[in-house]
Amino acid sequence: MPNSPLISVRDLSKNFRSAHRREGLWGGIVNLFHREYRTVEAVSKISFEIEPGEMVGYIGPNGAGKSTTIKMLTGILVPSSGEMVSNGFVPWRERTAYVRTIGVVFGQRTQLWWDIAVIESLKLLRRIYDVSQRDFDERIETFDQILGLRDYLNTPVRKLSLGERMRCDLAAALLHNPPLLFLDEPTIGLDVVAKDHIRHFLRAINQRYRTTVLLTTHDLDDIEELCRRIMIIDHGRLLYDGPLALLKQKLLRTKQVKFALRDKEQLPQLAAIEREGLKLERVDELTWRISFDRTRVSTADLIRQILGTVEIRDLLIEDEPIEELIKRIYAGEALHEVNI
Amino acid sequence: MKLRDIGIIYRKEMKDTLRDRRALISMIVVPILLMPLLTIGIGVLSAEIVGRAMEEIPKVMILGGADSPNITAELRAQSDMLVVPAGSDYAQQIEDKRIRAAVEIPPDFDASLAAGTPSTVTVYDYEGDLKSGIAADRLQKFFGDLRDRTVRDHLAAQRLPDALIHPFEIREQNVVSREKVTGAMVGGIVPYFVILLCLTGAIYPAIDLTAGEKERGTMETILSSPVSRTDLVFGKFLTVLTASLATAFLAVLSMAVSFGIGKGLLMSLTDAGQGNDFTLTINPGSVAAVFAMVLPLAVLFSAALLAIALCAKSYKEAQSYLQPLTIIVVVPGIVSLLPGVDLNARLALIPILNTSLVSKEILMGTYHWHYIALIFISSCVYAAAALTVAVRLFEREDVLFRT
Repeated sequence: MPNSPLISVRDLSKNFRSAHRREGLWGGIVNLFHREYRTVEAVSKISFEIEPGEMVGYIGPNGAGKSTTIKMLTGILVPSSGEMVSNGFVPWRERTAYVRTIGVVFGQRTQLWWDIAVIESLKLLRRIYDVSQRDFDERIETFDQILGLRDYLNTPVRKLSLGERMRCDLAAALLHNPPLLFLDEPTIGLDVVAKDHIRHFLRAINQRYRTTVLLTTHDLDDIEELCRRIMIIDHGRLLYDGPLALLKQKLLRTKQVKFALRDKEQLPQLAAIEREGLKLERVDELTWRISFDRTRVSTADLIRQILGTVEIRDLLIEDEPIEELIKRIYAGEALHEVNI
Repeated sequence: MKLRDIGIIYRKEMKDTLRDRRALISMIVVPILLMPLLTIGIGVLSAEIVGRAMEEIPKVMILGGADSPNITAELRAQSDMLVVPAGSDYAQQIEDKRIRAAVEIPPDFDASLAAGTPSTVTVYDYEGDLKSGIAADRLQKFFGDLRDRTVRDHLAAQRLPDALIHPFEIREQNVVSREKVTGAMVGGIVPYFVILLCLTGAIYPAIDLTAGEKERGTMETILSSPVSRTDLVFGKFLTVLTASLATAFLAVLSMAVSFGIGKGLLMSLTDAGQGNDFTLTINPGSVAAVFAMVLPLAVLFSAALLAIALCAKSYKEAQSYLQPLTIIVVVPGIVSLLPGVDLNARLALIPILNTSLVSKEILMGTYHWHYIALIFISSCVYAAAALTVAVRLFEREDVLFRT
């Protein structure tokens, strides 16, 4: 089926019933006998499609509905309404057949057994997923090349560092060579080097096997380094689904120019740069920063103006950090400002 | 349902359980240590306490008797008691355990003995107190002997034969086998412990495989594997059942060993006359039959514990749900130990109680086949119901992912 999406989700919703708890000691006693339930819409009518070979970042604040979506996509939860076809299966209806075609990694949990050597867990998963011994050996070899597994295959999981464990979990999730990989916060709690390893590995398997990856994360560097497309969810609703570049282009309005003056004698001339639409801030005595709206002020004009007014030693042009942008989106400011 | 998947889950969970220290303690250490402690420990301790109490020479008080010097002199001469000066606060002294007993000799006792007129000797003691009881027994024995001697003297004086006191002897003869005697003595206790340990051995694995898994966050990973939820429940259930039966089996084994050792020890500690009579015989066949009866009960426990623990969010919550169960199981166990509670058709339908009662009968060598069948079938029905509930709960999202 060329050109057909690998995952197709239409109007997917998931409601939870949660008990409303009264406060205080008396409230606690009342709770024991009479409970009030509220229906919480964890995911509300989301629709999207993912093409084979894509790497999609799925982001949102805590409790936005990311994990609930992943759990529905992996067949653990049954949606309240809506349709979903993934890899040719309806996940919750044909779960056991479907999960043989996917890999799942939950960043904060492991599917490896705590007390036994990693290789033992992998051997067990080989049996569960019916992987032949030859394929198994071959894949372990491949994972070893990219991830460097050999050194700790015989170590119990509890003795591994978080980064090492995550590599093993990735190997476990990909043992049966699934075309589709779901990652729930794969880099959470990892140090910079470990994060880099994981990202390198994900890029490699995406390129080598055309594995489709959907990953949730709080780390926007994951998105910037891995994903061309992002989906933003909040309060169960999909706020944005599109290229990361487009989001930046449309929403990153503020730019910053940071420059260092040659000497103190330049200070009096600074006032001449100030005009409407610019914000001049002092970083230290000789370093200053100008923030401006790039839709109203041309970066080239501004730089020309700075160079013509004061003598400088150094100059740096920066975008608004992506975190700031995402914060604005979560706060509900950004997306309706432009028409996406 | 795929046996292969159940087998994989079972092996995984067994390996996990065998590495859980709490499960190991309740499954292996408790039954192995508890039984010798209960049989040998308590036996040795009580023999020791009784022995010590017997060795003590109790202080007794003679009230009255000033006009009966013969008797008081004879009492003072007894080597197994020590007569202390009389006081009007004898009751208080007995209560305070300063003296063990007191005896009140009626006025003109020596004279009435000689004359053959009836009179009453009163022994004061602290009922229920071991040492006071020993002192009172010695006083009673002294006066009993005195009474016999007096009668014999009167008979001799009238030239009548001694045999008149005992015109005939009374003899008690046991007609049932040693096995039945043992069954009646300890038959209730054995199944009671087996049943209780079936439960306690299953508690920790049941919590670990459900609420523990939720707490560690590994529930999602196992649910996203291509093992069906039913197979998952069966794999987990079999693990809990194994722990339950292993606990019970080890308990029985350890009990058999400690009875063997305990018997010898008790015989060497208690006096020989009693020791000869003290032979406990448990037929291995009966023990196997008890096990067969306990099996559906262990299934019931395992499935019920799994279902209840699954509803909890955390290890701690599951523990607070399951601890009261121990008490619920103890009650029918104790009822079955009460004298006079015998198996009937209605009791045969009450879970736990029915198994306790029938196990008691089996250990006594009595096989009421219709009750055995009824109990086995009803226990199987309860077990199947509990297992069905556990499977159903594993299908429910609000139970698996309770927040």
